[in-house]
Amino acid sequence: MTATMDRPDAMASGSGFPTVASRVRDWADKLPDQVAMREKDYGVWQEYTWSRLWDLVVDAAHGLLALGVDEGDVVSIHSEDRPEWIILDLATVAIRGITTGLYPTNPMAEVIYLVNDSGAKLHLAEDQEQVDKVLDAGADAFPTVTRILYVEPRGVRSYDDERLMYWNDFMEVGRQHRAAHPGEIDRRMAEATPEDVITLVYTSGTTGPPKGAMLTNSNSAFAIDNIVMNGERIRGGAPGPHDLILTYLPLCHVAERIFSTWHMAGAGTVLNFAESIETVQVNLREIQPTLFFAVPRIWEKIHATALIKLQDATPIKRVFGRIGMWLANTVGKERIANGGNHSTKSRIAYAIGNPLFFRPLKERIGLRRCRWAGTGAAAIAPEVLEFFMGLGVPVYELYGMTENSAVATINFDGRVKLGTVGEPYPGIGFRIDEETGEIQTKHPGVFAGYWNKPDKTAETFTPDGWLMTGDVGEWVDGTHVKIVDRIKHIIITSGGKNISPSEIENSLKASPYVKEAMVIGDGRKFITALIGIELDTVGNWALRNKIPYTTYRDLSEKPEVIELIQKVVNETNEKFARVEQIKKFRMIPKELDHEDGELTATQKLKRSAMKDMFEELVEGMY
Amino acid sequence: MRGRPNLYVSYEEEQRILPTMTQRVSMTFLVLVALSVPFKVIPGIKFLGDPSWLQILGLTFIFLIGALGLNILTGLAGQVSLGHAFFMGVGAYTAAVLGGEATNAVYGFGLPIWVTLPAAGLVAAGIGILVAPTAVRVRGLYLAIVTLGLVFIGQHIFRSWNSVAGVPELGRDWGEFQFALWSSDGPALALQSDGDWFGIAMLGEGKAYLFLLVLAIGFTLLAKNLARTRIGRSFAAVRDRDIAAEVMGVNEVKAKTQAFAISSFYAGVAGALYGYFLGSVQLETWNLFFSVTFVAIILIGGAGTTAGVVMGTVFVETLPRIVENTTDFLEVQVEEGGWLAPIADFIIRTEGADFGLLSTVENGPGLSVSQMNGLLFGLLIAVFLIFEPLGLYGIWLRIRNYWKGWPFTY
Repeated sequence: MTATMDRPDAMASGSGFPTVASRVRDWADKLPDQVAMREKDYGVWQEYTWSRLWDLVVDAAHGLLALGVDEGDVVSIHSEDRPEWIILDLATVAIRGITTGLYPTNPMAEVIYLVNDSGAKLHLAEDQEQVDKVLDAGADAFPTVTRILYVEPRGVRSYDDERLMYWNDFMEVGRQHRAAHPGEIDRRMAEATPEDVITLVYTSGTTGPPKGAMLTNSNSAFAIDNIVMNGERIRGGAPGPHDLILTYLPLCHVAERIFSTWHMAGAGTVLNFAESIETVQVNLREIQPTLFFAVPRIWEKIHATALIKLQDATPIKRVFGRIGMWLANTVGKERIANGGNHSTKSRIAYAIGNPLFFRPLKERIGLRRCRWAGTGAAAIAPEVLEFFMGLGVPVYELYGMTENSAVATINFDGRVKLGTVGEPYPGIGFRIDEETGEIQTKHPGVFAGYWNKPDKTAETFTPDGWLMTGDVGEWVDGTHVKIVDRIKHIIITSGGKNISPSEIENSLKASPYVKEAMVIGDGRKFITALIGIELDTVGNWALRNKIPYTTYRDLSEKPEVIELIQKVVNETNEKFARVEQIKKFRMIPKELDHEDGELTATQKLKRSAMKDMFEELVEGMY
Repeated sequence: MRGRPNLYVSYEEEQRILPTMTQRVSMTFLVLVALSVPFKVIPGIKFLGDPSWLQILGLTFIFLIGALGLNILTGLAGQVSLGHAFFMGVGAYTAAVLGGEATNAVYGFGLPIWVTLPAAGLVAAGIGILVAPTAVRVRGLYLAIVTLGLVFIGQHIFRSWNSVAGVPELGRDWGEFQFALWSSDGPALALQSDGDWFGIAMLGEGKAYLFLLVLAIGFTLLAKNLARTRIGRSFAAVRDRDIAAEVMGVNEVKAKTQAFAISSFYAGVAGALYGYFLGSVQLETWNLFFSVTFVAIILIGGAGTTAGVVMGTVFVETLPRIVENTTDFLEVQVEEGGWLAPIADFIIRTEGADFGLLSTVENGPGLSVSQMNGLLFGLLIAVFLIFEPLGLYGIWLRIRNYWKGWPFTY
């Protein structure tokens, strides 16, 4: 049965506020046989056409109704990125429900908190690992959850819990319900209003317990109009059905939600699900996406890997690699000086470098066909942006947060300024508070409030109704915005000096050898730092310098490695004023991890937790 | 997917024999070149349309079919066999009996080639199936010895069974190398006499060349395809570790039997073609050296790879001729005092007292051309085994990977 068959004509699209679900239905009408999604399974990329995708969404939506999930109910999804994530998400929006996503790395305690805080009625746990996190919590740990869906049956089939239901059975229930109630989904979609909450996106919770930001249909519509369909940001026009996206960052985060789901719904781009975060580089090579969004950590990793592989190449290739890198630097510097545009000099350098070096290198890293690349969610080292700009893959830094549907600032094509997060989107309310330097926004993308936390919601708005982002920013040349730091992170030394730790940390992390850096100094006499090494690069460096090592801890405590890091620290110190210089540092003896509580699910440092955990190291420096 | 060579959306796409446009174009070009060899398309090149070269290339195609068969058994399924010559002999004599003319000394049914070629393959395959169980009991060197035994048993039988193989000193005749619908009809394709094809004047060698080329391409495609089927994968599994293969559900006995059968089929067809092509073959042909030639081909070319077998066959079969031509060229240089004369003089021994590595006169120190060939042959096998176990194909792979990896090494 195709998606269009059971829809009465009177209910044709157009009625009801456009939601992400109705937009997908429109694509299914327009391009029924074109590919909408690909998922790598059993070694090949299995394809879903638009009509099949919409068909599955309708089945799933009926399945939700059959299981008693109704409008306004919350569905929580605890899974890696996969088609079922999107299908359940769209199905929930189609029946005017609310989805919330959990990070696959969320440990049991956080699952209990998140699911109960959202009051989810139906919970999807991808596989045995995630099901265990629910079942091990005890029979009455989740009072609101009536059903637990699972997608990967391996190891779960033998479980004896009447809430458990296999995904395929769920879809079968949906098909039966659909046969009995044709047109029900379209009727509900026609009732959609702009104020309907479609998703709860939980903040990462670096300071307190996570809060669920409510995003509505009008928020998503605003983000689609301003970010997704913005032709100004991409050379060659707004995205469309011929663009390919690699979906690999957690879909529960607002960045990947916009970049994948909302791009798909708004522009009809094809989503390709990476097998896992470990295989991103392989999957990138296969897919060669045209649009690619990554967090700085990934860009830095690609950059560092390329540099190391060039160093490890055979002599002739190394010579060419050096020439190529020199050309890339030339092109990168020229283009950055011109806001991202080519100059005559860079054009010539690019024409020489492209066939010799850039094109094969881009092919190897999977960005040969990339026409727009973005970075956000954290600060990125300018060297990295310069490298990719030189290769001909301009990476545009942008800025936004969950609470304003990520609509704040972006570097537009041809008007790039390195070190800034770009210009505010035209026509939105955007200001920097003169007193505190805090960035504030006001536009239809601003969220509807925190789920069940009206007091917290009130705290995030100024008396005149502007959203307080909590980020300190400053204007650059009157047009571009530079992010200084989170307000809460600003360090005031015992000498009374205000210091932004992020700037120093990012400068440290620009080195391929440094993975984590945390600058300390609040109320202290001088600045110190905890530094964690990048195992791959430092391990490779140790290998080439014939330094034997066993574990991460052993490697980071080698005198030679400490010397190496000292050099990085010295280089950073040269860039800063005396009071901002790192006087002492210690190596972090372990790789930081979400489950151990040092990082949030988005790999951000939990500063207070870090301070407690490594108190001895910190106190040892003072 | 187009423009994204690593993006496979189906297994068919991933398993394609020629996955990229470049490969398809270059392969078409190669086939076109091969098809044009019998014709003097470019006047300057002596090689084109030269009967002696056509003869060598025709033989190359026959060896290619035989080598593909051994590659399936040894390269793909990992069963070392020295008995290939025996299976070729079986095929050859099957074709001789079925296709040859009866005399009062030998059997002969005078059947056309489209009956005798498959029959030759099938009979050889049948004997292969009989032999296969031994391969289940013994492995590696021991299997090589067992199959070596086959060669000697075979030679004994061929020598004794005069009504099939003829009197040992004389041998027997195969049928005419021609393609006829039935024995009483005239030949539809006469492959041994000069004449017109579609209005183009052709040498007999040229016709035989084209006929064998088509067969060789067909058998190559079949072999290439076999490697990517369930059967081919079961062979590879048995090769890599037979116990592990059984754990994965591969029936070892079945796989080895299939490998022997298919390999022997190829050998039988090749043997029959060999007989037809040469018209008359001595009994001693089907000996150990003949088997070793095939082993050498797949080792030099690259065991387990179809492209490698093609390269290996062309290399091994044309090498003697190249050595010969080089010797001739050097000889001319010595006699006429060309610019290469000093080096040529060092290598070639033209008169009795002269020093030289290669001797072009009868009897005396130095190597004859055929000895030189034998020496080169042995040397090449040793060098390839030590330095490039993947053979010529391995060299090609290395070059290809160098550029594929650009600008990285791994």
